[in-house]
Parts: sequence; C-alpha cells; structure tokens
Amino acid sequence: MIYSVDTILSLALLSSLFALGSSRLPGLIKVVGFQGVVVSIVPIFIDHNVTSGAVTFYMFTMSIRGVVIPLSIYLLIRKIAIRREVEPIIGYHASLFAGLLLIVASSIMNHRLVLPSTTSSVLLMPTALTILVTGMFILMARRNAIAMVLGYIMMENGIYLVGTTFSMGTHHIVEFGILLDVLAGVMIMAIMLENMKQKFDDVDTLYLSELKE
Amino acid sequence: MVEIIILTPFLAGIIAFFISKTAGRRLLVMVGALHLTASILIWVKRPAPPLPDYFAITPEGLLSLISISLLFFLISIYSTGYLRAEESHSASGAPHAETIKHESVFIGSMMLFLSTMTMVTLSDHMMVMWIAIEATTLASAPLIYSHRTATSLEATWKYVIICSVGIAVALLGSIFIALAMDVGKVTAPVSFSAITSVAKELDPMWLKTGFVFILVGYGTKMGLAPMHTWLPDAHSEAPSPASALLSGVLLNCAYLGIFKTDKIMHAAGLGEFSGAILMVFGLISILAAATFIMKQTEYKRLLAYSSIENMGIIAFGTGIGGMGAYGAMLCLIHHSLIKSSLFLTSGNMLIGYGSGLIKKTGNLVTLMPKSFVAFFAGFVGISGFPPFGIFIGEFFIIMAAFNSGHFVAAGIFIFSLCIIFAGFSNQVMKISFGPSESDTIHLKESASMVWPQYVLLITSMILCFWMPDSLYQTIISAVAAMGGVR
Repeated sequence: MIYSVDTILSLALLSSLFALGSSRLPGLIKVVGFQGVVVSIVPIFIDHNVTSGAVTFYMFTMSIRGVVIPLSIYLLIRKIAIRREVEPIIGYHASLFAGLLLIVASSIMNHRLVLPSTTSSVLLMPTALTILVTGMFILMARRNAIAMVLGYIMMENGIYLVGTTFSMGTHHIVEFGILLDVLAGVMIMAIMLENMKQKFDDVDTLYLSELKE
Repeated sequence: MVEIIILTPFLAGIIAFFISKTAGRRLLVMVGALHLTASILIWVKRPAPPLPDYFAITPEGLLSLISISLLFFLISIYSTGYLRAEESHSASGAPHAETIKHESVFIGSMMLFLSTMTMVTLSDHMMVMWIAIEATTLASAPLIYSHRTATSLEATWKYVIICSVGIAVALLGSIFIALAMDVGKVTAPVSFSAITSVAKELDPMWLKTGFVFILVGYGTKMGLAPMHTWLPDAHSEAPSPASALLSGVLLNCAYLGIFKTDKIMHAAGLGEFSGAILMVFGLISILAAATFIMKQTEYKRLLAYSSIENMGIIAFGTGIGGMGAYGAMLCLIHHSLIKSSLFLTSGNMLIGYGSGLIKKTGNLVTLMPKSFVAFFAGFVGISGFPPFGIFIGEFFIIMAAFNSGHFVAAGIFIFSLCIIFAGFSNQVMKISFGPSESDTIHLKESASMVWPQYVLLITSMILCFWMPDSLYQTIISAVAAMGGVR
C-alpha cells in the first residue's frame, strides 16, 4: 500500500515541475486537475480504518477538486480567453530551476521536521509543501489572471495534502466546509474574470494597476 | 439562540436577492433590529450553544458580536437613507460619483456578510473559524464591486486574491497547531478552548510555526502591514455603508482569530514569543500608516490608512499583554464605533461633493453642517483625544509599554501617533474649513444619514466615562489569559 502512495505522490511532485514549465493555460489546468485527484485519493491509502462514509467523502472531494473546479476553469477559458499564454513575469527556465530547488529544499526540511508517528509515507510532506509553494509561485510569477486562480487552487490542494498528515478522524464535516469555501471562492473568482474580460477585453492583470498611492 | 442568530441573516440575505428594492431595504433594517435583540439576549443569558465542539460563547466573541450587531443596525438605517439619496441624486442628473448598480445584490450580500461575521464571533473550532473568516471574504466581495467600475473591479480582485491566499496561509497555520497536538500525543477537539486547556502538552516547535502562519494569514485580513495592500483599495472603492462594515467589524473578526491563538500561546508559556511578534507587526503597521497618511489625496483612503494604524495599535497592545491587552480591547471597541461613523459620514461627503478627492471638497462646516459635526467629532475621537474612548485605550497601552520596559517601542509608538495626527489634521482642516470649488451641494442631510453617526459617537463618549459592569467584567475575562489587569 505504502509504495503505491509514494508512486502517486512522486507523479504529483513531477507534475508541479510540469506546471512551472507550461506556457499555456490548458496544460496548467490538466496539472491542477491531476493534483486535485491525487490529493483526494491519498487519504484512502493512508487511513487505516476506512469506513464507507469516509470513502464517500473522499470521492466527493475528488469530484470537486479533480473535476468540477478544473472543468469550470476550462469552460471559462473557452468562453473568454483569446490568448492562452500565461504571461510569465519570471521566465519558464528560471521557474523550472526554482521548482527543482524547491523540491530539494522541501525534502531537506522534511528530515528536520518532527512529524507524528502516524505519518507513513516519506514523500507526503515534501510533495504537499512543493505543491503549495509552486501554487504560490505561479500566483506571483504569472500575470494572466486565470493562471493566478489556478495557482491559488494548487496552493489549496497542497494545504489539503498537509492536512492529511495528521489524524483527521471525524473531521469530515469541517473538511467539507473548507471544500465548500474553496469552491465558492473559485466561483467568485470566475465571475470576476468574466467581468474583467468584459471591461478590458483581456484577463491580463496589467490592466489592474489603476489604484495606487 | 446561537443557530437563530447565524441563520436568520443568512436566509434573509438569500431572500433579499429576489425581492423589490423597497422590500429589501425594509428587510435590511428588520434583520438589523432582530440581530441586535438576539445578541443582547445572548449577552444577558449566555446560553449554551449547540455543537459545543464547534461553537462557544467566549468573552472576546461576545464583545465582537455586540459591536457587530449595534453597528449593523445603525448602518442598515443609514443605508436606507444613503440608497434613497443616491437614487434621487442620479434621477436629478447631477454630476456624481459612482452609484450602486444592483441594489438587491448589495442588500443580500450585506446580510450574508452579517451572517458570516456572526459565525466568526461564535465559532470555537479552529477550522470552523477559518471557514467563517473565508466566508466573510466571499460575502463581502460583491459589496466592494457594487459600483461595477474598472477601479472597483481591481479593488475586488486584489481583495479576493490577497485575502484568500492570506487566509489559506492561516489554514496551514491551523493545521500546524493540530499537528502540534498530534506530535505532543494529545487527543482533544481542535477547538480554541480545548487546545488552550491542554496547551502545555503541545509540541512548542509546531505551535510557534502555527502561530506565525496564523498571524500572517489573519493579519492579512486584519490589515497589518506589510500585508495591508488590499485594504485602502477595498475600503475606498466600496460604497460607504459597506466600507463602514469592513473597517468597523470585519477587521475585528480577523483579529479575533489572532487573539484566540495568542491565548493558546500564553497558556503554553510562549507568550513572550507571540507578544514580541505582535508588537513588531503592530509597530510596522503604525509606521506604514504614518508614511502613507501624510500624502493622501482621497479622504476614504485616508480613513482606510487610519484603520491600518488602529489595527497596528491593537496588535501592539495585545503583544504587550496585561494592561496593554485591556487597552487594546478598548481600542478595538471604540475604533469600531468611531471609524464606522467616519466612513458613514464620508458617504454623505461623496454624494454631496460628487468626488472622493480631498481637493474637490472644502468648507464642510457651512455646506453640510450636520455631517461636519459627525466628521469632526469622529476625527477628534480617532486621533485619541478625550472625550472618546480611544484616548483611554491608547493611554493604557502606553502605560503598559513603559511599565514593562519597552521604552524604544513606546517611543516609536508615540512618535508615529504624532505624525499621523499631524497628517490627518492637515487634511481634515482642508476638508472642513478650506475653500471649496463650488457651493452647490447635492445632498439633503436627512435624519437617517446623520443620526446613526451621532449615536455611534455618543456611545463611544458614554463608554469613555461610564462602562456597564458586565461590559467591564467581559473585557477583563477576555484579557485574563494575557496577564490580566493588575
């Protein structure tokens, strides 16, 4: 069981690099969707006493994180984006290099952290941290507003994965609330993206620099 | 009672999306009155909430709840006047600043916003609190976008992105604190009250990391520098009743998250660590506000920076602890009262002058005498002069800083307050007594557009001289964990 988790996690880890190197939005969405699926099924392998209720919850999480959110962003792109470049502020090669450094850093950090003894997979924490920081990086280093939203979703996925490291037990109601918040947040961002398209005929955040001192 | 006070505004908010303008306005005031009654009942009776793992009635939560209720009720009355004035204003064809485009969305979001903020004050579970705080961001985003202009879109985008990311960081912090429980082999609910009672057994390393992440995360929402960049934009672009709510109570909600985590730190014996970080963030915020207030050209941005300053003062006071924490609580309450009154008055000015720029204003004292009284009294109060309560709060904080030997910090604190006062008063004098471009004012100062401000200011004045014993006891028990008042 443990090995299968590590296989999936290593794929998710590599997909972060792919996200950093991809210049087009559809590629980025695929990565986000894939990571959404991975982070929602990992708990099934880690949890020692899986109940049917828990499985239902994980499946629900997967349908939101892996299907609903990426699909809605994909439909949005088809509707509004003429250009599908992510408009990098930091170039792709530099981003990739930063991603590699990030993986090394999070692996080193993982050795220094005192984790609860229930944590079984060695790759869990480094992967979670890498996904999280990659999301933040994309949020800051891309000018396209849709890419920023995708960065935010990636960050949320990473946080969810960090959350699986501790024994959640009966926290499914709370997890459900968090999921709902993330979903609502993405929907509101999507509405704003549509408005942005109407106002500026583009989703480049360069247009959003009127307000300053 | 607890579930009613959260659910009523929520349901009413949803209904408001589908009903007519006049009915919506009435519903808004009704919900405000109902909410105020319910919070007074909760204050008096302190009933046990359902789902005790997730919700609890805490002294600090009650203080925030009662100020949210009072403010919302008064703001709902103001809103009806404001919306009416805006309507007649745009009907007359006068040149004006932006108007609210979809009133049903505005009113509905106001009530959803109230519901989510109420949930913040009553939640005890760390994650439930996170859910509620993130929900306040989502519910208030449509309020900021009310004018449907390019600049309001920019403000809303910044608000949603910066705050969502910030709050996501706070979620990570909450998870770290849960990890601290796992590593320390503690089994307890992940609620603030339960964690506080077992704080000593938690792993200190994870606890410290968690606190820093929570402070940065909720600090973003609270408007602490250097994460404050969304705040001036959002507060200046939102319609004035919404700005008053954002500044008066939303910032308090975010502070509540930090305050409760700080309580855990004190219980774990790490109060020095958390206090030092809070003081540093507080001082940076006050200094940042001082630099930006000097050269402001818009009055709503001026007020927004003053909010950053006050949040800095509150964080600083909480960091000192003891008497300082007591002062911070007083500042929190009075900042809500005074700053919301100032933002409401800025709504009158916006309609009256038709512009948000300070250079387009002037001669407020003769053009809008009633608003002038509220504006000037608010300015006196927010600058920390008696007879308003911020004076006592700041006095306690400075006293506590000197008593605990933080002389340099206290020096920076007093110095920045002086600069802020100088910058602020310069602008206020221009607005109040300076020459105005034209003498035509597009506003009739109706009672509903000045009395809410008066009531807020008078409340602050009364609380400065006489505080009901139950209020005093509630504040004392809220800050008891931070060393209490000696």
